[in-house]
Amino acid sequence: MPEYTLKIRRYTPETGEAAYWEDFTVDLDGHRSVLDGILQAKDRFDGSIGIRCSCRAAICGSCGVRINGRPGLACHMHLEEAAKRAGDGKIIVEPMGNMPVLKDLIVDMDAVHWKKMRRVTPWLLPDGEPPEREYVVPKESMVDITQTMACIQCGACVSDCLSMEVDPEFIGPAALAKAYRFVGDPRDGQQFERLKDLSEDPHGIYDCTHCFNCIEACPKGVAPMSQIMRLRRISGGDHHIEDRNNGYRHEKAFVKNIEKNGILMEADLLPDSYGGKFHPRAVPELVGSLPVVLTALRRGKVTLKKALIPHKLEGQKSVKKIFDTVHDRDERYELNLYISGTDEEPEHGSERTDSGEDGAAAGTTTAQGSPSSSPPERSPNS
Amino acid sequence: MPAHDVLIIGAGLAGQRAALAAAGEGATVAIMSKVHPVRSHSNAAAGGINAALNPDDSWESHAYDTVKGSDYLGDQDAIEIMCREAPDEVLQLEHWGVTFHRNDEGLLGTRAFGGASAARTYYVADITGQALLHVLYEQLMKFHEQIDRYEEWFVTSLLTDDAGNCTGALARNIRDGSIEVFNAKNTILASGGAGQCFKPTTNALICTGDGIAQAYRIGAPLMDMEMIQYHPTTLAGNGILITEGARGEGAHLYNAKGERFMEKYAPNKLELASRDVVSRAEQTEINEGRGFPDGTVALDITKVPRKRTLEALREIVNIGRDFAGVDITREPIHIKPGCHYIMGGVKTDVDGATPIPGLYAAGEVACVSVHGGNRLGANSLLDTLIFGKRSGVHAAHRARTMAMPNASHSRVDDERASIDAIIRRESGGRRISEIKDELGEMMNDKVAVFRDQAGLTEALDIVRRLKEEATGAAVDDRGTVFNQDVLGAIELGYMLDVAETIVMGALERKESRGAQFRLDFPKRNDEEWLKHINIARNGGDEPSISYSPVTMTQWEPQERTY
Amino acid sequence: MKVAYWPGCVSRGFTPELHGSMELVAPLLDIELVELDRACCTGAGVIAEHNQELADTLNARTFAMAQAVEGADMMMNICSTCQGAQSECQERLDANAEYRAHVNETLSGESLHYEKGITNKHFLWLMVEEIGLDAIAAKVVKPLTGLKVGPFYGCYIVRPTDRLGIDDDNPRDTYLTQLIETLGGTVVDYAGSHKCCGFPIITMNKAASLKQAGRHIGDAIDADADCLVTPCPLCHLNLDLQQPLAQKEVGRDLGLPILHLPQLVGLAFGLEPKALGLSKHVVKPTSVIDWSTSVVAGVGDGGW
Repeated sequence: MPEYTLKIRRYTPETGEAAYWEDFTVDLDGHRSVLDGILQAKDRFDGSIGIRCSCRAAICGSCGVRINGRPGLACHMHLEEAAKRAGDGKIIVEPMGNMPVLKDLIVDMDAVHWKKMRRVTPWLLPDGEPPEREYVVPKESMVDITQTMACIQCGACVSDCLSMEVDPEFIGPAALAKAYRFVGDPRDGQQFERLKDLSEDPHGIYDCTHCFNCIEACPKGVAPMSQIMRLRRISGGDHHIEDRNNGYRHEKAFVKNIEKNGILMEADLLPDSYGGKFHPRAVPELVGSLPVVLTALRRGKVTLKKALIPHKLEGQKSVKKIFDTVHDRDERYELNLYISGTDEEPEHGSERTDSGEDGAAAGTTTAQGSPSSSPPERSPNS
Repeated sequence: MPAHDVLIIGAGLAGQRAALAAAGEGATVAIMSKVHPVRSHSNAAAGGINAALNPDDSWESHAYDTVKGSDYLGDQDAIEIMCREAPDEVLQLEHWGVTFHRNDEGLLGTRAFGGASAARTYYVADITGQALLHVLYEQLMKFHEQIDRYEEWFVTSLLTDDAGNCTGALARNIRDGSIEVFNAKNTILASGGAGQCFKPTTNALICTGDGIAQAYRIGAPLMDMEMIQYHPTTLAGNGILITEGARGEGAHLYNAKGERFMEKYAPNKLELASRDVVSRAEQTEINEGRGFPDGTVALDITKVPRKRTLEALREIVNIGRDFAGVDITREPIHIKPGCHYIMGGVKTDVDGATPIPGLYAAGEVACVSVHGGNRLGANSLLDTLIFGKRSGVHAAHRARTMAMPNASHSRVDDERASIDAIIRRESGGRRISEIKDELGEMMNDKVAVFRDQAGLTEALDIVRRLKEEATGAAVDDRGTVFNQDVLGAIELGYMLDVAETIVMGALERKESRGAQFRLDFPKRNDEEWLKHINIARNGGDEPSISYSPVTMTQWEPQERTY
Repeated sequence: MKVAYWPGCVSRGFTPELHGSMELVAPLLDIELVELDRACCTGAGVIAEHNQELADTLNARTFAMAQAVEGADMMMNICSTCQGAQSECQERLDANAEYRAHVNETLSGESLHYEKGITNKHFLWLMVEEIGLDAIAAKVVKPLTGLKVGPFYGCYIVRPTDRLGIDDDNPRDTYLTQLIETLGGTVVDYAGSHKCCGFPIITMNKAASLKQAGRHIGDAIDADADCLVTPCPLCHLNLDLQQPLAQKEVGRDLGLPILHLPQLVGLAFGLEPKALGLSKHVVKPTSVIDWSTSVVAGVGDGGW
């Protein structure tokens, strides 16, 4: 069996010594997981290696770590894969980031992850008394929040959240995705209050730096950043909540800017994000950015004309028409690929038909592949 | 020193439900878990939860299916209670916020599941267990003032007083290694099953039979321990579970010759026959040479429309891709039966009370028995919630007229000493992992789908030998912070105790019923064996066997075909 | 090759040196740029945040125009954010025929139609995948010998990896490294290369925004970089235009020049620094400008 070297970050708090690296060489099939490797090292060489783990099947969320610098579940990464990206042939395993390390690969989730989770009031707050039977809710709404319900609280998103890195008070991707689970649940009676709370918190939904790290990190497809954007959409678009970070204003200003100019006119964007050129909020910002602007003018980077007179885009009328058409709709059309998936390639150009009834296995599938009678020969995969 | 009306050990579905129920009755509650509550193995339950909510359905029908599924070893009064209370429980869960799947009218929707005569399984995609567990935890966070949580605390033993009452537990704070006495008027064990006694298993690494062994060690009887469920669809090698929901959605099973073999074994229900029937069918195909070279058969999920698979079986799509390198929407996946669930456990009545006063048990750790010889899919989630609730309520009421026990601190010193002794063991003996591996592989060989006298006798000898060896297994970690090594040694002890009782039960039951199939006694023998087998340590270390009758209310045993 | 060229907004606004340098470098790579002058902003993720359908429709329009350019091999952009924003829209449009038809209906007013599957590549990807590093190496006139360059990708071009087609066969998140080496430079490995410049929150949490920029620049300096190179003008704004304020935020002097991708390529191809617009930067790339054919002096004073 092939051998893999794991370079594990060790830290034993009782010794008072600094953290250090230790190598372990394990022999396992390449498709086995990094967790299997760590457990073999634990079993054979050093039982003191600390790692939280339980299900080995990416469902319990215990084994969040950083492998070769990227956050994820140890049970979810094949040794072969990890070795490919390894520097000098060693698979680097470290504890997750943004959280204090308790021992080896074990971090204090309570102090960061769970604390932020509690911040978003993570339980259903229905209005009034429950009905006799079930709440009646649209089927789609339950399917929709299944995406956020899929979160296994592993902390991988929190680990590498770049906003949290510079602003530890940022509520963070996991908690905000969980907030969507309630905002998107028709049974919750506090949609507005939740959004107001999270928008007005300066470390709330508008503090996300839009870096996609959490989407990349998440082993379950929760896409926390996308949920944050949904919260912004609902908060701004439906409830017009003005947050303290100028986030909603910025969004409105940007949209208005393109609607008017087609190509971004930066000089308008900055002041409009604060409320307008002469708005009291904007003035200190404009004054503060004067040195930068002056430098830019001096260098010839920007000319006064360019800055103050919008560029005229040919075809701007058509662009504006698109804005009007979409804005006129009664409801926002949002396609969520997590739920709808990707179209099948129809064979011979035939049209794809839709099934999707409860448990119905009616013959409308376009599933390609093996005919129903005999399964193809497959080599064993374990 | 913490002191509560109700101490709950284990924070999976049964434990969390018990906590909410007890707190709802005004009791002071502590809930303790060796892992963070959302890491509990309830998470892994994928398919759904059964309830006869549909007006066209009836709890009697659900109960009958369960009785039949149990191969008539289930106690019918307990089953009736469970099935009768199921609809209200599902509604309660929905009110708390579980994101159950809906039908087109926006009402709770069902899917088909094994062994059921009507579609009565309510679900959340294929993450039902996770959804339930997380929503219950949301409620625990909401009621944090009424329910004290001790997360990452490991129970090392249950406490009893001179009169034989259970008065709480000793537990080690995993974070810093300190030991505390937890006084409690009532203790509810909700620590789950013991799948780790087998290798491979669908069970998580934490399923080491802790509660079963702890109860056993203070004299509580264990019932029906021989009843180990092998789930029909697990991945070879690592034992990861492919939910029954796949078959519920329409997936088929094929052998290597491309035959849909369930037509032979269960012509009516086919792939949705009860699990023991399907597992035996698969194992027979494999043993008789019609399986694939890796000892598997094929599960073909391409039969299910792709959009439906993505909507309702998302988790298996992920599992197939990540753990088997297979796109289940395009090709079949290889599976085989794997150890999954233990129907047996700590004997309780319908309120979760064990014969030891002050000790309750609920969930997989318990044996009421509602599952008898075989558990139906989607009944386990139900079991945990109904009996979690009932034991929580009962314990809370019982606490009202009791004085708080007061265990002495010397117990802490004793416990600390015995743990230190483990830590200070001389190296030179076998490693813990070696002993554990040998146990698991042996159990999966001799105490699996097909058993016989010779194999079981050998198994018992091996378990006893391993128990000896375990006392000399040294640990590497001498530290106090997160010393998982010493906990592993303690867990090994639990597993060996539990394994011993499993083998004893299998040897004792000289018939085939439900999950137990004896090649030397292949028929069900109601005349002699329609009874529960209890194993208990009465005082000393030597376990003794006794029997107790199966409670029957409406249904006489019949021939069981699917 | 001929490309339908989307230059983006900022390259024609506050970082004109990007647009200018691209125009100079393209012919040297035998790239004919057909500018999509009727196309509008991609939304930079902000329009998508406001309304997905709007962003998807605006970009479908751009795609449709690109597809209508006669003889174009593909569409090309010069901004990480454009690439990311457009890839996100394209992912939705390509995934669902019904949705695509719906969007195309809105476009029909202008007689435009988007066909699924457009190839839209950032100039960085195009260089590595279409032109090839060998061909580029052959055109190097003034190798960047001794120049220590830190790559700064910009979030939108490196995540999420599956949407951006980044895998073992197309390790697009290492292309800057490969390119710098091909041009003769030395790659500086530092913590912030794939992190966020902070631009998206410059109006929302200025401190956090500038802290990110400041930290990554600081890390690069500590790793001995002479300059950074970035394929994103928005990153350039936060790293260069805002560097004076970023300095204040992280409490240390910075003064690290930030180069646009075409500028780096242009220098290696022998173009004059002034022509490439290097004098327009807020942080003067002194070390780079003073270089002739041999080893470069380290980053010194004269940052402003």
